[in-house]
Amino acid sequence: MSVLFSRGICVISASIALLMGSVIAGMERKVQARIQQRIGPPILTPGFWSWLKFYYKKKVRPLATAPSFYIWTVVLGIFVVLLLLIVTLPPVWGFLGLASILGVVGFLKLEELLYVLMGSVSQSIMSVPLFPWDIVRGGKVLGTRREFFEQQSALRALKMIGLGSIPLYVAIAVPFAMAKSPYISDVIRLQNPAFFTESIFPLPSSPAFFTVYGFFASIVFFIGYVILLNDKPFNIIKPKIDIMEGGTLEYGAIYRAYMYIFSQVMAFVLSSVYVTLFLGIPLDVTRPALLALHLVLTLPLPIFKAVLAAFSPVLTFRQIYSASAGLTAIGAFALIASLII
Amino acid sequence: MQAPNKNQQVVEKELPIGPVHPALLEPFRIRFFVNDEIVEDCEVVLGTIHRGVERILEGQPVERALLITERVCGICSNSHAWNSVRVVERGLNIEIPPRAMYIRVIAQEVQRIASHLIFLGHAMEVIGHETFAMRAFLLRESFMDILYYIGGNRVHPSVPVIGGVRPRCEITEGLKKLILELLDRGEKMFKAYVERVLADPLVMSRVTGTGYLSKEDAIRLHAVGPTARASNVRFDWRMEMDEYKPFTFDYIFLEDGDNKARVVARALEIFECIKIVRQALKDLPEGPLVNRNWVPKRMKFTDSYNEAPRGELYHSYALDDYGRLRHYKIRTPTITSLHAVEYAAIGDHVTDAVLTIASADPCLSCCQRVEVVDVKSKKCKMFSSPIEVVKKYGWKR
Repeated sequence: MSVLFSRGICVISASIALLMGSVIAGMERKVQARIQQRIGPPILTPGFWSWLKFYYKKKVRPLATAPSFYIWTVVLGIFVVLLLLIVTLPPVWGFLGLASILGVVGFLKLEELLYVLMGSVSQSIMSVPLFPWDIVRGGKVLGTRREFFEQQSALRALKMIGLGSIPLYVAIAVPFAMAKSPYISDVIRLQNPAFFTESIFPLPSSPAFFTVYGFFASIVFFIGYVILLNDKPFNIIKPKIDIMEGGTLEYGAIYRAYMYIFSQVMAFVLSSVYVTLFLGIPLDVTRPALLALHLVLTLPLPIFKAVLAAFSPVLTFRQIYSASAGLTAIGAFALIASLII
Repeated sequence: MQAPNKNQQVVEKELPIGPVHPALLEPFRIRFFVNDEIVEDCEVVLGTIHRGVERILEGQPVERALLITERVCGICSNSHAWNSVRVVERGLNIEIPPRAMYIRVIAQEVQRIASHLIFLGHAMEVIGHETFAMRAFLLRESFMDILYYIGGNRVHPSVPVIGGVRPRCEITEGLKKLILELLDRGEKMFKAYVERVLADPLVMSRVTGTGYLSKEDAIRLHAVGPTARASNVRFDWRMEMDEYKPFTFDYIFLEDGDNKARVVARALEIFECIKIVRQALKDLPEGPLVNRNWVPKRMKFTDSYNEAPRGELYHSYALDDYGRLRHYKIRTPTITSLHAVEYAAIGDHVTDAVLTIASADPCLSCCQRVEVVDVKSKKCKMFSSPIEVVKKYGWKR
């Protein structure tokens, strides 16, 4: 396979991710709206059309301490997400060992860290800058360190990195443990040997999902998926009511479009990673039937996420810590079982 | 429930929110003093939407008072209009026809239901449950329709006038049947809604045990209305009002004193309101709607209390020789309940503390006024906004 051909496949796959990201966002909104007995927006509005809309808005420079860094963090986020997708593509499986649990977990951790970076530098006008009022009034507890709520969001993101997202990583380790190898190619070889033949529609013979521990790991992966995408009930980083959007609050105009692309493509890519690792069907643009099946199978996770979000409040750390501990225990059980059996 | 220790304070930092904040229904500022996201102290700062209603009322003819006071609040507009006319009716001993009294009670209780449903919707919104929030707002529509059928308007039905109710607020037999149908449907849907909310473990985990306010603290901090009754403060102004004497219903007192109790208290009150409206419709007396046999004349300073949806509502004024308003004072329930929930928020996670503040069902535009007290001379002076205080006294006190 030539380098040019591999690059072409990566570009086409990235384009598919952008397209699917724009559709998935609309589907989620539609599902939630139907549950709430509303019509909801057209499918392409929250994704594709909102990207275009924000592209033509007037640019506003954020009040962040390092505005350029703040702006480029979200662009970096898009690249990280697309890189995460690319390491799961068959042409990249032999490249420097990145197509392994190391690459997947590494890029996911980097993605989580971006929220900390965004929150650390962002300073919206809605909290600290209105301080003279408090001094005039002679309010309570004067002279204390004041913090922007974006910075509070960064602290919460750190807590989530520390504990909240552990179940996802435990769940991701299960298919690799089943294959007794850190490489994605070995995971696919175990679950879908036909993929390495010339077949135009190679279906998996023993997907991880249909094993007991694979099933439990899938449940844990789904919750981790919700946690990593900061959706309800695990959106304490941006719960709307106190610190609102958190670190991403100040992205306006084209940068808001980038932010939407970042989060919406992430929803697709994580779902794609799940289909690759747990169902044994990689994203392969050279086999159209398999590609279509892969894309269809990426839809249930976002839809389940939308249903969960429609029926959940925002949980605080009081509930998240216990939920995370319980899910980590289930994931650890699945991991140990997959290693032993 | 065991009360948290609210005396030990280790303030790590301040987390100010607002007054410009999309999640706040009205512009106000909350200053949380936190230690690792746990609220050690809290301050709610008002003063950005003062409208000077009391000043506008000064010198107006008394007939116009109810039109202006009705616009103090868009949610409990009937409470203000009713209390405004009650002052002059008490001061000048104006007799109210029984039919008018019943219609006033019906309008008041239907608006109480609508107000409590707004609270439930907002509380669910604050904890992040959009579906329950939207369902509460959907349920509210039936009761808003009833207000529309009675008064001709949804938000400002303008039911009471001095001496009775407006002639357009007549409840005919057909309308009575329609209201009863809407009540039945609304009650059935609301019962299913409450059962679902109370059975939801995630929602209950958010509201149970947070924002605890003991009975002693509720009394000490002058909490009123459902906020106080959820802490087992056994008082409701409807106990004292002659208008409510003909009706049999329960007053809702709960002992838990947490956010769940404040949510449940309002939910249970809705069922009692429906009970009152049904009785009022069933026993609606015949007779005139309004007594016109009165003239505006000098009236000494008179006050009136009413149980608005959020609690104790106070109106007072005097009339001069020409029947014009003098020294109009309004005290809305939020101004006292807000201070109580400020205290109740201590010990909560920041996200829970916002819910605790919302659990007083604050209506901030109704209660904003600035009063500066000179400690030496013990005189106080009212200002229309904090910026006027700044202009007079400078940035530092």
